[in-house]
Amino acid sequence: MAEELIRLKDLVKIYDTGAIKVLGLKRINLTINRGEFVAIMGKSGSGKSTLMNILGCLDRPSMGHYYLDGIDVASMTSNELSEIRNKKIGFVFQSFNLISRTSALKNVEIPMTYAKVGKKARRERALKLLDRVGLLSRAQHMPNELSGGQRQRVAIARALANQPPLILADEPTGNLDTAASEEIMELFSELHREGATVVVVTHEENIAEFTDRIIRFQDGLVISDRRKGSEDSAV
Amino acid sequence: MRTVLFENMSMAFSAIRVNKMRSFLTMLGIIIGIGSVISIVSIGDTMRSLFADLYKDVGVTQAYLCVGYWLDDRRMSDYFTLDDLEKVKEVFGDSITYIDSSASTGAEAINKKTKVNFDFTGIDYNYIDVQPVDMVYGRYLNEGDVLGRKKNVVMDVDSAMLLFGMENAVGQTFRTELYGDVDEFTVVGVYRKEMSPFQALMMGGRSDRGSAFIPYTLLTWPNDYFYYLRLFASEDVRLNEFFDQLKAYVANIKGRNPEDMYMETAMEQMNSVDAVMGGLSAAVGGIAAISLLVGGIGIMNIMLVSVTERTREIGIRKSLGAKTRDILIQFLTESAILSACGGVIGIVIGVGLVSGIGMAFGIGTVIRPSVVILAVSFSASDCILHRRLLRRIRLMR
Repeated sequence: MAEELIRLKDLVKIYDTGAIKVLGLKRINLTINRGEFVAIMGKSGSGKSTLMNILGCLDRPSMGHYYLDGIDVASMTSNELSEIRNKKIGFVFQSFNLISRTSALKNVEIPMTYAKVGKKARRERALKLLDRVGLLSRAQHMPNELSGGQRQRVAIARALANQPPLILADEPTGNLDTAASEEIMELFSELHREGATVVVVTHEENIAEFTDRIIRFQDGLVISDRRKGSEDSAV
Repeated sequence: MRTVLFENMSMAFSAIRVNKMRSFLTMLGIIIGIGSVISIVSIGDTMRSLFADLYKDVGVTQAYLCVGYWLDDRRMSDYFTLDDLEKVKEVFGDSITYIDSSASTGAEAINKKTKVNFDFTGIDYNYIDVQPVDMVYGRYLNEGDVLGRKKNVVMDVDSAMLLFGMENAVGQTFRTELYGDVDEFTVVGVYRKEMSPFQALMMGGRSDRGSAFIPYTLLTWPNDYFYYLRLFASEDVRLNEFFDQLKAYVANIKGRNPEDMYMETAMEQMNSVDAVMGGLSAAVGGIAAISLLVGGIGIMNIMLVSVTERTREIGIRKSLGAKTRDILIQFLTESAILSACGGVIGIVIGVGLVSGIGMAFGIGTVIRPSVVILAVSFSASDCILHRRLLRRIRLMR
């Protein structure tokens, strides 16, 4: 039986804007196993970004529990969350979010800096990762000297830096053309085949098609959870 | 820990390098602040030391003593005679290096057709011990001149040039009228007194007036009355104690109370001038410190803007596992480096400016290390302020 990586139990997120309270997520129960390749889909406002923020430990749930790798992160302090993000999660964003005027190599090194990895080990690993995403020759380039696809590949290399069990990608192809999008998704597929757990948030069907499991959201609820080769299992 | 520090340093340096212009402008505030505090306070200190030198030249142990000018029941015996002077000399001989009747007068000196107004100062032969001069021609007044009331004079080279048109005026004579008697005087010596440009400035340009020393016995005769005793205490006595004893003694022989005596000492004058100069230099330094504060606020402001501007970068870094402390340290390191660089440049400019001015005027400058340290630590303390501000920003996010 596959090992659980993510387990959400009765997870609720309320946005309190003072005047009104908005229910972002309504009692979500969800399990993602180690090694899965999952797409989270939904229209804007469906709650998928809220879930993404909670899965990425960027935000905390209002109620319920979130177990990541067996640890309940719902009650952690912000510094503890920083450490979780650093060690357990690799982020890939729609707008790449590379640090400007800092070379590709340095960008990949940043998570390892915060993990207090020694300088030499850091450099070696960063170069290996850049080689892995096919950008070894661009190591010293600044982000603005790279194409969108290349930037996203640097971001993926950076996400892999501390060998996190979970890779979270938020609309990773949103700013890319079709060819580059496919390239990136191929890279995710490869990582998945190598054993990584990849969660992709997207609203594009063809992107979701790359994954093995598609979870659809609407109005803060999971409306479908389909695994490739099996029937829709509505919740 | 060391690697983290090093990482932060290198990150901060690259941020500073990337924004060269902004970093420079930020530092400019600190540079001007520290530079002006150091230069202004140093100029003040230099002035103080110049005045102290000036007084050293006048003689720090010099004092004038007389019966209080404020007394209503003035008596003939309030004035001094040469007998009083001898008594004082006898009693306090060990403590006094020089004493005279403080006699001086102005008169017209006539050499053939040349007429020059002269200040004649009556001195004893050992005046050279307390007011050293370099004799360039002839000799100083000697005991024989004083005791024998010889009509010999010693003058400086400028006065000699004025009256005789030459520096070596030894043996030359001139006529002048002292207290109604016209007499012929002989120059026995010419001296040169080295003065710094500052002293010359303070003494004023005496271009059209001569000055000369004559035996005081020519100006003060036995049974003459004079108002002031002028004296120089020896260097090794405790001045305050000695002056009190002297006051008491003179009051006693004059039948007055010690508090009725008036005494003016170079020491007191020097201290009051020093106090005024010190106050002035502290006040101006305080004003300069405001510019330091403004410089600090400049850095603070830039760091604030920089934090706001880089919210995105901070967000990215946090998503990659940076703790609030890591971000804080990064920005603090940046501002600390800016302050430090600005501080070093400011010190160089401040010290350079003061030394430059000093060299241009031929004055030895005084730069107190304490001022430099104070100025720099003041600007460094701005960093601490940043910390609190940044913390607030962190909470806002």
